[in-house]
Amino acid sequence: MTIIIAGGGKVGSTLAEHLADEGHSVTIVDVSGDTLERLSNQLDVMCLKGNCVSRDVLLEAGAKETNVLIAATGSDEINLLCCHIAHRVGVPYTVARVRGTEYVNDLDTLKADLGITMLINPELTAATEISRLLRFPNAANIDSFARGRVELVSFTVQEGDFLAGKTLAALSSKIQGLPLLLCAVERGEDVFIPNGASLLAVGDRVSVAGTPSGVNQFFKLLGRQAHRIKNAFIIGGGRVAFYLLILLERLGMGCKLVERDPERCRELAEHFPHALLIHGDGTDPELLTEERMAASDAFVALTDRDEDNLIISLYAHQAGVPKVVAKSSRQNYTAIARSAGVESVVSPKLATAGLILRFIRGLQNSKGTVMNALYRIAGGKAEAMEFLVSPATRNLKVPLKDLKLREGILIAVIVRGNKVIIPEGSTCLERGDDVIVIARDSGILDLNDIYEGVGL
Amino acid sequence: MNFKLVLRITGFTLFIEAAAMLIPMGVALLYGESPIPFLCAILLVLAAAAVPVFFFKPKTDFFAREGFFTVGLIWVLFGAFGALPFWFSGQFGSYVDCFFETISGFTTTGATILTAIEGLPMGLLFWRSFTHWLGGMGVLILTAALLPFLGISSNFLIRAESPGPVKNKLVPRASQSSKILYGIYLALTVLEVLCLRIAGMDWYDSITHAMSTAGTGGFSRMNASIGSYASPAIEIIITVFMLLFSVNFSIYFLMLTGKARQALKSDELRFFLIMVAVSVAAIAWNLRDFYQGVGECVRYAAFQVASIVSTTGFSSANYDLWPEFSKMLLVVLTFIGACAGSTGGGIKCGRILILIRSARREVRSIIHPRAVSIVRLDGAPVSEGAIRTAQCYFIVNLFLVFGMAIVVGLDNFSFGTTLTAVITCISNVGPGLELVGPAGNFSAFSVLSKLVLSFAMILGRLEMYPILVLFSSSAWKRS
Repeated sequence: MTIIIAGGGKVGSTLAEHLADEGHSVTIVDVSGDTLERLSNQLDVMCLKGNCVSRDVLLEAGAKETNVLIAATGSDEINLLCCHIAHRVGVPYTVARVRGTEYVNDLDTLKADLGITMLINPELTAATEISRLLRFPNAANIDSFARGRVELVSFTVQEGDFLAGKTLAALSSKIQGLPLLLCAVERGEDVFIPNGASLLAVGDRVSVAGTPSGVNQFFKLLGRQAHRIKNAFIIGGGRVAFYLLILLERLGMGCKLVERDPERCRELAEHFPHALLIHGDGTDPELLTEERMAASDAFVALTDRDEDNLIISLYAHQAGVPKVVAKSSRQNYTAIARSAGVESVVSPKLATAGLILRFIRGLQNSKGTVMNALYRIAGGKAEAMEFLVSPATRNLKVPLKDLKLREGILIAVIVRGNKVIIPEGSTCLERGDDVIVIARDSGILDLNDIYEGVGL
Repeated sequence: MNFKLVLRITGFTLFIEAAAMLIPMGVALLYGESPIPFLCAILLVLAAAAVPVFFFKPKTDFFAREGFFTVGLIWVLFGAFGALPFWFSGQFGSYVDCFFETISGFTTTGATILTAIEGLPMGLLFWRSFTHWLGGMGVLILTAALLPFLGISSNFLIRAESPGPVKNKLVPRASQSSKILYGIYLALTVLEVLCLRIAGMDWYDSITHAMSTAGTGGFSRMNASIGSYASPAIEIIITVFMLLFSVNFSIYFLMLTGKARQALKSDELRFFLIMVAVSVAAIAWNLRDFYQGVGECVRYAAFQVASIVSTTGFSSANYDLWPEFSKMLLVVLTFIGACAGSTGGGIKCGRILILIRSARREVRSIIHPRAVSIVRLDGAPVSEGAIRTAQCYFIVNLFLVFGMAIVVGLDNFSFGTTLTAVITCISNVGPGLELVGPAGNFSAFSVLSKLVLSFAMILGRLEMYPILVLFSSSAWKRS
């Protein structure tokens, strides 16, 4: 596909990288020559200097032949306008990044009025993810499939867990009967799909797919029945915090937020009557002690500096806060944080890139099977996808044990009607099923891609 | 200060007062009384007003300080000229007494120097109640509604006359807002006249009492006020209308424009209604040995609470004889008063609510010294400036009450009389306790005290600042 990306910032360049890797022809439009220079050195993309709201620039970038335009400049208004103009020029699909809190209630009308296909809000996505983590404090990460019927939850194996040092085959007696499946294990830099002979070790990050109640029972079995989170301590009052406060207020969670800028404190206080806004430096341990940080159920670090977030998260973890979540845009910090005990790291950039990639892939295979969801799991090294089985899917009614799947592919869960099925050797795929597939590498676009020996 | 323009506007407003006097003159003629006092007064007012209106050619610079200054001046002059019919009639005693009575009328206080009301000429008693009705909504709002051609933004005038802690503008144009407010005011008054007529009052009494209620004034043509009718129906009607007139008028506007839900969400309204309900219950309980049965207790308690909280000052019983608890509660209600944007006086529920919430915030800031918290009213943040204004208003109010009580103390009446006289005047209620209680009057005070109390009434009605501006030396400077 031909894709134009307006704006070569953090999200723009991440997207360009992923899309170029997947074989699309990408053109980046940016006003800064330096940015373009750097990008053209790093990536296999075309770069064009110019203002993306100009019709001429868009035409020069090949708007007439483009399938998708993604506007990810720093300004919401430019993004909206750019998509609108692209729509008028004739680009069939447009995606705009809109992060302003002012627009949050009007996103649907904006979309319809300006002819934009999709609006993405990285901060809102991240906030949603964090609120989900706070709702289910057991899990380090949670993704949901099939309208919430299936959850994919990851956690770290700890010293003393009954899983540690055992093969899956040995465990089967204990967890058999629970509607869930261990579907990916991340060990150090490696990710593998476990089979009966796989051995689980302390420090492994395991992803489990199953029904929400099954997952809960599993955690009970693990002895990690965490109590409900009633109050959260948040550092940093940026946009993510803004959206998070909205979501947590709806859940009835008490929030305490520390922000450095007094003006912003006031602004937030005006918006959120139920939150306690504290003006001060969130990295100052004295302030955290004074405000009884250690007594809160959850701690969320959302300052704009990744380093600060990680360090204060570690501090909170050491102080004994049961659930700690840190925001980090940089992928390589995540592993460090995890090894030190901060399991939940949320990245708005990655979440956004995931959303857009899913959208593009959905466009690509709209003729074949429909991909309903895509999440990058295990630190982005594996993907979990939800497909709808269509008549075009091959090997229907063939028991799974007779199927030859490609290396690193797992059919984790099948949702048939209202029933959630954990597949066994004798299970077959049927038309209308929702199938959740775990793949170690990216690039699965269609359900048929999971079978071995079929060319892509 | 643009004195010429200030005087010219004052002149225009006095024209309206002259026109207003035609109505009681008509009433006097209707009852076969002498129209001479009114005629003389009208001619004098016209003569005084004509000079600035016809001979001054001012520049049109008009800002907040001119607005405040004009309002202060107009209210003093309204009292001075409005007192003339009383004085010319010779039945009201000295000019200071007449001035006190008129100021008490225009400021909707209802404090009187009359010892025997029944038997006075109908025309004069009508004028007495009519001043309530005119003063209730504000004479300048009326001016702005009738005379939008003053050539200046009437905004500053209206803002100065009804400052309140709540926004008062209903529609973008000030003169339009004034018309809407007066329309609501007039409609409610007419409704009350009809209700009272049906309940058995004659037309004259219905109209004068409705006007007194509408302005939340409290002049009655009966010595024993509403109590003299001994009619539960009349008491209930007046109780309801007193409460209706003590609610922010923008709530009626919202209801009329189909935003009833938004209107009922008002924090101030809720606070007001809860305060009234709790006070009625507490006083009714306290009166259990005083009257027969629960119904009677509630009837007297509800009437008196509504009368005091709306700052009307009618009475259906001599509450000065009630237990001390009830009297204390009524004095506190005198202080608090009605809702902002109504015709009532007092500190206003909106301000009290802001004060309570800012006090709560202070307490909270001891536990969380670095917390940034916001005081809200109706869910919207109240600016720090508005909080400061409310706090300052409260303090100035207290200073003035104590200051004036010291001066009134020269008359050597009891502590209760002295203090409640000042409080009831500055809150525009009317009756206080003991000598100035519902059965008493203000005639026994010295000339100095009467002037001080008149001053207190104007201070209260205009919410301090326009009158205090008159005392600021910088307001008098030409630059």
